[in-house]
Amino acid sequence: MAEHRGSLWQAARAVFWSFFGVRKKSHYEQDAVQLTPVQVIVMGLASAALFVLILLGIVWLVAN
Amino acid sequence: MAHDATHAHDDHGHAQPSGIMRWLTTTNHKDIGSLYMWFAGIMFLIAGTMALVIRAELFQPGLQVVDPEFFNQMTTLHGLIMVFGVIMPAWAGFANWQIPLMIGAPDMAFPRMNNWGFWLLPVAGFLLVLTLFMPGGGPAGGWTMYPPLFIQGGISYDLTIFAVHILGASSIMGSINIITTILNMRAPGMTMMKMPLFVWTWLITAYLLIATVPVLAGAVTMLLTDRNFDTHFFNAAGGGDPVMFQHIFWFFGHPEVYILILPAFGVVSQIIPTFARKPLFGYASMVYATASIAILSFIVWAHHMFTVGMPATAQLFFMYSTMLIAVPTGVKVFNWVATMWKGSMTFETPMLFAIAFVCLFTIGGFSGLVCAMTPVDIQIHDTYYVVAHFHYVLVSGALFAIIAGVYYWLPKWTGHMYDERLGKLHFWLSVISMNITFFPMHFLGLAGMPRRYADYALQFAEFNAIASVGAFLFGFSQLIFLYLIIKAIKGGQKATDQVWEGAEGLEWTVPSPAPYHTFETAPVVK
Ligand code: HEM
Ligand SMILES: [Cu+2]
Repeated sequence: MAEHRGSLWQAARAVFWSFFGVRKKSHYEQDAVQLTPVQVIVMGLASAALFVLILLGIVWLVAN
Repeated sequence: MAHDATHAHDDHGHAQPSGIMRWLTTTNHKDIGSLYMWFAGIMFLIAGTMALVIRAELFQPGLQVVDPEFFNQMTTLHGLIMVFGVIMPAWAGFANWQIPLMIGAPDMAFPRMNNWGFWLLPVAGFLLVLTLFMPGGGPAGGWTMYPPLFIQGGISYDLTIFAVHILGASSIMGSINIITTILNMRAPGMTMMKMPLFVWTWLITAYLLIATVPVLAGAVTMLLTDRNFDTHFFNAAGGGDPVMFQHIFWFFGHPEVYILILPAFGVVSQIIPTFARKPLFGYASMVYATASIAILSFIVWAHHMFTVGMPATAQLFFMYSTMLIAVPTGVKVFNWVATMWKGSMTFETPMLFAIAFVCLFTIGGFSGLVCAMTPVDIQIHDTYYVVAHFHYVLVSGALFAIIAGVYYWLPKWTGHMYDERLGKLHFWLSVISMNITFFPMHFLGLAGMPRRYADYALQFAEFNAIASVGAFLFGFSQLIFLYLIIKAIKGGQKATDQVWEGAEGLEWTVPSPAPYHTFETAPVVK
């Protein structure tokens, strides 16, 4: 566990699946050793912001 | 609850005060945990009595038992005390008792702050009860403290605001303590992803508290200055906006409902694997789902305000976000069911309450989804349908999980098994009477009966009578629980260290009752 080599992309995928609430075991085990807490938290907040933007986009589509 | 153990194990040198001073000055996490639990229990009896006053008045249409003014004070104080004086302190009690035991720490990180955090609570509880004896009686504006009512009332409204400030300070101290303990004091080998789920849910809850309690404190401070110092934050006549209070309150309020329920998810995730004799299905998913529920809980607040007037786009946004937050919540329910699937299950009282939690909390989740649909909510907002919704998630959700947790860990706390026969009686009476009380409220709400009124139209009479009978049955059934706890403290069959055949985790490696000091040398987790 000396080195964390998780990419941003990997953090994004972990966070995406967590919004759904499910994560494949082998992937989760990779996450657990490769991702740092900071990566996950920053990606979590960024994804929440993105989530808000997507919802606003859908609302805009529906309302117009 | 640990005091029998104290004297037997109190062999560590420094003298300890006895009697009341022992409890006033204690810095021991088990003592403080017990104090929190007893406080929650006493407040439960007070707020429960208030609920029975409400149901007695609503047994029949017309006014029989209390004045309408007093009725409104009862609904307000019942809600405030149950949320801030019962469920939250009970979870803090579990945190104090269990988190150090579950992560292999000798105590909480800040023992003196722990003492102070607890002893603020009786002060706040006293203030809330005191309001009833003030001129004009207690606060009557609802537990949500909305202006303009909360700006207009008398001295008891100031006392309520003060009590909320104190409760908030206590919650913040508790949260800092819990976060620091979990992040810094885990036994060697206890990595984050090995932590019991109860510890995880509390860690996330503590962050939610730190993020939202200051918001509530700000909102009530603005009420206070509006009341006493001529500001006009919420006064339209002075250029303020009463709806702004609702936005600020619910920005706190919705995360708050998750503060009440996340530790419940944790407890249920401890109990079901033990009695199904299988590891928790999808441990990592559960952690991830809890984290995303916490984040998403900040972007749904206006679902409490669909009727106050907002742009259609905002209504759509909050409708969508609210419906989506139900996804990770639903995943948890699937995980609990999958844990039980093909397990070798036994049905001791903690498991019965945990299973009831899974079934009945889900009903509350679904009625929440019904409320989340804006056009539907415009019909049912402020009716008994909403009352039914939040009592399913709070009584058969949070409260049942608290009861389940008490039965589960009581043998560890007291050293004695509780009376299983009486426990089952308590379970069946509770689960049946809970449904008799709250299920008819769905029908009342759909038929249009508004909440928070002392009187109602004749067509609502039958369901109200049924609900009142259920409420009294539920209330008195809880006395069995009190009796069972006292009985187990006093004596009974000796509990083994492991207590439950399928139990796993550090807390089951120490003797029962847990000695006054545990894990003074850290255990090693493989
Ligand atoms: C699936 C998840 C949930 C959804 C979709 C949901 C949705 C809603 C909605 C839309 C309302 C507003 C209804 C109205 O006033 O017209 C509401 C009220 C409420 N909910 Fe939920 N809810 C959920 C879970 C929970 C949980 C877990 C709790 C607490 C443990 C909770 C506690 C409350 C409370 C206390 C109120 C009423 C507040 C008041 O006006 O006094 N809900 N819920
Ligand atoms: Cu809400």
